[in-house]
Amino acid sequence: MKKTLFIILFVFIFQSLIVLFYSVSTEAHKVSAYVYREGDKVIGECYFVDGAPCKNSKVEVYDKEGRKIVETVTDEKGNFSFKTSNKDELKIVIPAGEGHRAEYTLAALEQVTAKNEIKKTGTQQSRQAQELKLPESLINKDELRQIINEAMDSKLQGLQNEVRNIRKQLDTINYRDIIGGIGYIFGVWGLIMMLKGKKNAS
Amino acid sequence: MHISEGVLSTSVLFTGAILSIAGLALGLRRIRNADIPKVAVLSSAFFVASLIHIPIGPSSAHLVLNGLVGVLLGWAAFPSIFVGLILQALVFQFGGLTTLGVNTFAMAMPGVVVYFAFKKFIKKGRNTAFIGGVLAGASAIILSAVLISIALLETEKSFIGIAGTFLAVHLPIALIEGIITGFVVVYLKKVKPEALG
Repeated sequence: MKKTLFIILFVFIFQSLIVLFYSVSTEAHKVSAYVYREGDKVIGECYFVDGAPCKNSKVEVYDKEGRKIVETVTDEKGNFSFKTSNKDELKIVIPAGEGHRAEYTLAALEQVTAKNEIKKTGTQQSRQAQELKLPESLINKDELRQIINEAMDSKLQGLQNEVRNIRKQLDTINYRDIIGGIGYIFGVWGLIMMLKGKKNAS
Repeated sequence: MHISEGVLSTSVLFTGAILSIAGLALGLRRIRNADIPKVAVLSSAFFVASLIHIPIGPSSAHLVLNGLVGVLLGWAAFPSIFVGLILQALVFQFGGLTTLGVNTFAMAMPGVVVYFAFKKFIKKGRNTAFIGGVLAGASAIILSAVLISIALLETEKSFIGIAGTFLAVHLPIALIEGIITGFVVVYLKKVKPEALG
């Protein structure tokens, strides 16, 4: 009875300590990054496990062959961006020092589909132009592409933010993780106890 | 105090793993069945302690409690901390699975060292036991900081630099943990003296 009480007390004290400190902690341990492309620009955000920005941290970018192509630094809000014409897979490494490090693989831009889309919009455009009986030269292909891009960007901005928020939530620690972890620990030790007990009995 | 994946070279990882396996084997052999609940409680204490961050200047560090685990468990600190670290790596992505060996050794070995160093103090009267606990809790953190700095030696180039930052950040942690360990030792002495074995 005393033992159980002791254990419950112990866990309880720790839980309250977490609540106390977790809410006030300004910086944390694990470093995560969220990176996406916007045209030939690569934009990224680097943050700690509690969502706090990872300030003035070095960012290294490697190409598919493992060569370092860009090196930059995050700003006060943990953001960074750089321009690259490299459309292949990129690996973004954030060595936050003192043994901390985050890695993010940015998928390659699929050039084939991009080309297809351009072709399609091209034919659509000419068809539309024919239907409207407009001379094709009135709407420049590049202009149209730019207009579509701008419209898409503004529409996608909300989605982009949503994805970023969800990713951040996934990267931060919540209560389920903590309690689940404690449960696993007791489970593992229970198993060890069982196995040891069996050995002693036989 | 955890080293992330992809920072260390294979030889450092390998050395850490070998040392930890030796410690684990020794620890598992020492554990009696009756000790297992205590080991489990300390595993989870270690597991959650890493979530308690204490902001220090521009950086921040978290509690480790390896001194407390060491004082109460001796060699069994190895399996206890190892289980805690596996779950920290899986659940919080603190450290990593490849760095488990290095991290286990860097945190468990100081615990074992302080167990043997301060065993005599802790067995004595209340005041001496408290001081023993404080010293054990604090020196375990400092030893861990030194071990982590040694592990990072290859990557960070300047040992003095990295050890300096590490120790500076962890001095307040050492103080806090010393006090926690001291009080826990005194409390256990009163309530459950056999737990101090």
